[in-house]
Amino acid sequence: MAVSSRRLQKELMDIKKEGTPVGIELLKADDFSKWILSVEVLGDTVYKGEKFALMFRFDNQYPISAPAVQFVVDDKWSAPEHPICASILGSEWSPVLSVVSVCVTIQSMLASCKVCPCLTAHTRAALLTGRGFSSA
Amino acid sequence: MHQSSPFANATNLQSGAGSSSSNAGRATAGSGPAPISQSPEAPKLRVTDLPDVDEPSAWPAENDEMRIDEPDELPPAGLFDGVQVFPGDGLPMETRPLIGALEPMATLRAEYENGSQSFVKQIDWLMDQGWIGIRRTRGDGDCFYRSLAFAYIEQILNATEPQLAALKALSILDQMPSQLKAVGFQELVFEDFHDAFADLIKAVVEPRVDGRLLTISSLLKAFNEPETSNSVVMYLRLLASAHIKGNPDSYAGFLLHPETAESMDPESFCNNFVEAFGKEADHVQINALSSMLKVNINVAYLDGHDPNGRVSYVKFQDAAEDPDTEPVNLLYRPGHYDILDRRSEDPIPLLLE
Repeated sequence: MAVSSRRLQKELMDIKKEGTPVGIELLKADDFSKWILSVEVLGDTVYKGEKFALMFRFDNQYPISAPAVQFVVDDKWSAPEHPICASILGSEWSPVLSVVSVCVTIQSMLASCKVCPCLTAHTRAALLTGRGFSSA
Repeated sequence: MHQSSPFANATNLQSGAGSSSSNAGRATAGSGPAPISQSPEAPKLRVTDLPDVDEPSAWPAENDEMRIDEPDELPPAGLFDGVQVFPGDGLPMETRPLIGALEPMATLRAEYENGSQSFVKQIDWLMDQGWIGIRRTRGDGDCFYRSLAFAYIEQILNATEPQLAALKALSILDQMPSQLKAVGFQELVFEDFHDAFADLIKAVVEPRVDGRLLTISSLLKAFNEPETSNSVVMYLRLLASAHIKGNPDSYAGFLLHPETAESMDPESFCNNFVEAFGKEADHVQINALSSMLKVNINVAYLDGHDPNGRVSYVKFQDAAEDPDTEPVNLLYRPGHYDILDRRSEDPIPLLLE
């Protein structure tokens, strides 16, 4: 089994056993190449109550290489490229991070209004209309 | 363990060799080979400040304290700016093996012959000391961890009782998961990396899936498979991080941002400069790994600074002297680590496999 599948299997088991932190939900994890999670912004901020869907894509070197993470815009998940400008997904990526911890970081980025420039008003509108994912 | 005293003694660590090496590293690491355009500035060591290393065939005897050989006399950071001191082997970085076969030190010397004569002198000096071989690693920012991991396992294979040395190493490794958990690492984050490293050492004692015990040849092969090799690098990074996070008092004042030299807290230092791939190691990380793995590490500094061509050693001594195993001997050139060896080529069985 590739190192990525082995690790993702463990992360999946951990999510199933321990659950996810408040505001974070696993929507889709059918394989070990692409997962979808939703992140709800907590606290009193401009994004209060908004829910964003994040798509994670993994290559077979994950977690040695970082996952590609982007906002998902519609329910076909055919999102235009909205890569997230978080340093932990670039030069500061470390295999110590996991799918859930990346979500937590993005959640707090959004909550502290340190929004990456790619999340423009237009994107936000698209993200909001794209809500309503179900984990079914 | 001497967790605070050896480090406290090394007060000149960051102001001298430490910061110099890391900054020089930024300037040269990963930049690939390039011709030497000019020689480094005239060396600044005074003869009377030279470390006392006359013994021809042995590292100076030491107790279990980390000793720094005059690092405060090394020139400050910035000396290397714009000066290419790392000619490399002529291959682009990404096509170099992650870790290479043993080669004669003379090949390294040849690369400097038309360039810095102070490096040539130092290489001659190392060869006179018996260091006639070098095993090179790719200059990708992970070279210290990869060199250490490889040399650590090789030193087990070369021990007078390899099986005993392997069992000893495995018993040390068995204690790592609880130390990693104690500083907050999730098991799922480290266990695959732990297994990658431990399985190689286990293979000294028990045959691997191919039915064979570990040899220098299969070790070399494993270290050139990115998955295994990078897993091992990551494991060593986690161990270094765990030691720093677990002993914050010992490291207080030494956790400096490599570029700005600002003081950092253990958490952000480790997140940014230990746990992330491609971030070079400096004294702090080397000291942490020497402590965690209980291995003595000698680093020879080939920096072109000594007018008489001598080479300073920095010794990280965290293990009791062990007559069965040698310390790990690394060669540092600004921004890069390779492995030093007393042989100029790998043993013959490598050729037969």
